Amino acid sequence: MIAFHDVRKTYPMGETRVEALRGVSAEIPRERMTAVMGPSGSGKSTMLHLAGCLDTPTSGRVICDGQDLGSLSSRRRAEFRATTVGFVFQKFNLVPNLTALRNVELPLLLRGESATSSRKKALDALDVVELGDRRRHRPTKLSGGEQQRVAIARALVNAPKLVLADEPTGNLDTETGTRILRLLRGLVETGKTVVVVTHNPEIAHEADALIALRDGRVESLSAPRADGEQA
Amino acid sequence: MNLHLVKLAIGSIRSRRTRSWLTVIGVLIGVTAVVSLLSIGTGVERAVLQQFKDIGYDIIVIAPSGMAAVLGEGGRAFMSGADPDSGPGRVQAMASSFAPTGGTFDPSQIGQPTGSSAAVASVQSGGVDTQKLVQAVPGVIEAGNLGTRVVSVDGPGASGFLRLTTPSQSFLQAFPSILGGFEIESGTAFTNAAMNEVVVGARSAASLGVGAGDTLTVDGERFTVVGILASSGAASEGTARSTPGAQGSADNAVAGALPGGGASFLTRGLTNTDDSLFVLQERANTLWSGQNTTTTTIVRMATGADVEGVLAGIATELTAQGVRGTPTSVQQIAASIQGALGMIATVLASIAAVALIVGGVGMMNTMYTSVLERTREIGVLKAIGARDGQVLALFLVDSGLMGLIGGVLGLVAGGILSLLGTRLLGPALGVGSFRPVFEASLILGVVAASFVIGALSGAWPAWRASRLNPVEALAAE
Ligand SMILES: Nc1ncnc2c1ncn2[C@@H]1O[C@H](COP(=O)(O)OP(=O)(O)OP(=O)(O)O)[C@@H](O)[C@H]1O
Ligand SMILES: [Mg+2]
Repeated sequence: MIAFHDVRKTYPMGETRVEALRGVSAEIPRERMTAVMGPSGSGKSTMLHLAGCLDTPTSGRVICDGQDLGSLSSRRRAEFRATTVGFVFQKFNLVPNLTALRNVELPLLLRGESATSSRKKALDALDVVELGDRRRHRPTKLSGGEQQRVAIARALVNAPKLVLADEPTGNLDTETGTRILRLLRGLVETGKTVVVVTHNPEIAHEADALIALRDGRVESLSAPRADGEQA
Repeated sequence: MNLHLVKLAIGSIRSRRTRSWLTVIGVLIGVTAVVSLLSIGTGVERAVLQQFKDIGYDIIVIAPSGMAAVLGEGGRAFMSGADPDSGPGRVQAMASSFAPTGGTFDPSQIGQPTGSSAAVASVQSGGVDTQKLVQAVPGVIEAGNLGTRVVSVDGPGASGFLRLTTPSQSFLQAFPSILGGFEIESGTAFTNAAMNEVVVGARSAASLGVGAGDTLTVDGERFTVVGILASSGAASEGTARSTPGAQGSADNAVAGALPGGGASFLTRGLTNTDDSLFVLQERANTLWSGQNTTTTTIVRMATGADVEGVLAGIATELTAQGVRGTPTSVQQIAASIQGALGMIATVLASIAAVALIVGGVGMMNTMYTSVLERTREIGVLKAIGARDGQVLALFLVDSGLMGLIGGVLGLVAGGILSLLGTRLLGPALGVGSFRPVFEASLILGVVAASFVIGALSGAWPAWRASRLNPVEALAAE
């Protein structure tokens, strides 16, 4: 679904520049779960940001369904994020002064959906993550696992084709992490393409494909298993 | 969509309650200053202009020797009978006001038939021959004389000095409104110019202890009280008595600031009839010819007459009659006062605007900090698909709303302040009681302006927020 062609990303750091990605070429298969692994600082998050159109590559191309994401205008990029991508962050990143329901509604409201349809879809999404009864809670009143589930509901509410999760279980205990993982895994069955950045080999094992990064380069790639077969 | 932005913004205002309120208070103070100053300013202007309107814009006043003399005299009462201590001091004040005529005015000479008439020789006791004036000057339809001087009065209840007002018969006929309608409460108006008849103002009647039919001695002449005037309700002289200093300085300030400062003369000195005695001028001239009476002539122009032409005609006629005097039209006085009031209002409004700008800077500070604090939130919004314009709008609505709240609260506070302020200012400015004026344009303008100031102050921080790189914003702590 997304193809990286010799992608480089450099960040200016005062006098010097940090090369986060140094020529990454990889393919993220459609309707599969792909794990991105690698040591800290190897460029995993950077890769995910480029895939989700949060940032543009310094050189090389990121192609999504034949579209060069780097060439989009700022408005089209926002539109891409609003309609095609759902992000899940390690730090949950819920808006602190909005209730769970409001947080989930937010992407729809930003897209200009009506209040009633937004509410209905948000409640459905909260039901998917089994948090319908926590809808009035503010993030501070929720546990980490619950916050992450709200964040997943928020990522799903737009019905995006692509779900990008950056260490979604990094701040959670193993048991809760497993639950989140199962949730993400289940998304693939509903026809979504899922990318998970993780340090956890178990998660990587669950994935259909694996991209291993080191120092901004692809260390190894493993293609998805044959069609129809699932972990 | 926009409604949701508003809701989100309200949420963020609420979540930073203390700071939001402090910001709102900053705007509130500015708006309060603007509203109270403007509404009081408009109120003063309206009140003053209304009094001119009551007199009539078709009126020309011929003051005997410039307005200043009349102005200084206007509105003062001399009730030494009722208030013996203040008597001599007040008469001194009056003496100084007569200085422009070049004479000395010795209070001890009040009541003596001849006295210092030489000192005011330029003002003929009879004043202008109004009949001739009406005939000679085209555009003049009626005219009347009104004299004032201080007389000694002996009544059954008290004796002392009082202001004697001497309207001519033509004056009473043409301009009763200038004497507050000259409304008789008991008894009758003047019946016979050949008899010693006096009409007494309400307060004077009370302090002298006279009623219709009683007898009074005025400057040694015995008079029959034919009528008592209804109370004019003007409290200004009562106030003047209790706070003579403030009153005097306010008068001086107005006189100094306004070239046509006849306002107090026209609006307060004459319409307050309560502290005066009234004798027909025709009778007074017979009894006390040569007395130092200050005579003012009031002239009414024909509708549509050319003011400049009529004024010139009057000046010529005055020279012909050998009377010294300065004709001034109420229009001119009103225009110059309006101009001066407008200037004062502009200065006050500019000062108030500075307060409003300070409020705006406070708002800018708040919004800037808010953007810094919410950087990560902005990153999240962008990650879930918010466009730059939406982030911009979110912050603009936020600051605009705070501006609006400050504006509405400031409007209320300014309203209350100006209602209280006019209570105190009315007497101090000598315009009697007046109310602040809240024009619809002021209210709408202030509310709109406070929203715009709020939004503008938030514009730069909001623009910065909207331009944030989502990845960097997300990385912020
Ligand atoms: N905005 C930035 N400015 C400067 N350097 C950056 C920026 N973002 C990332 N980097 C650098 O780019 C490199 C790759 O960062 P990235 O966040 O992609 O690593 P990562 O693999 O996600 O690491 P981790 O596992 O710790 O999250 C790092 O060396 C990092 O310091
Ligand atoms: Mg990372």
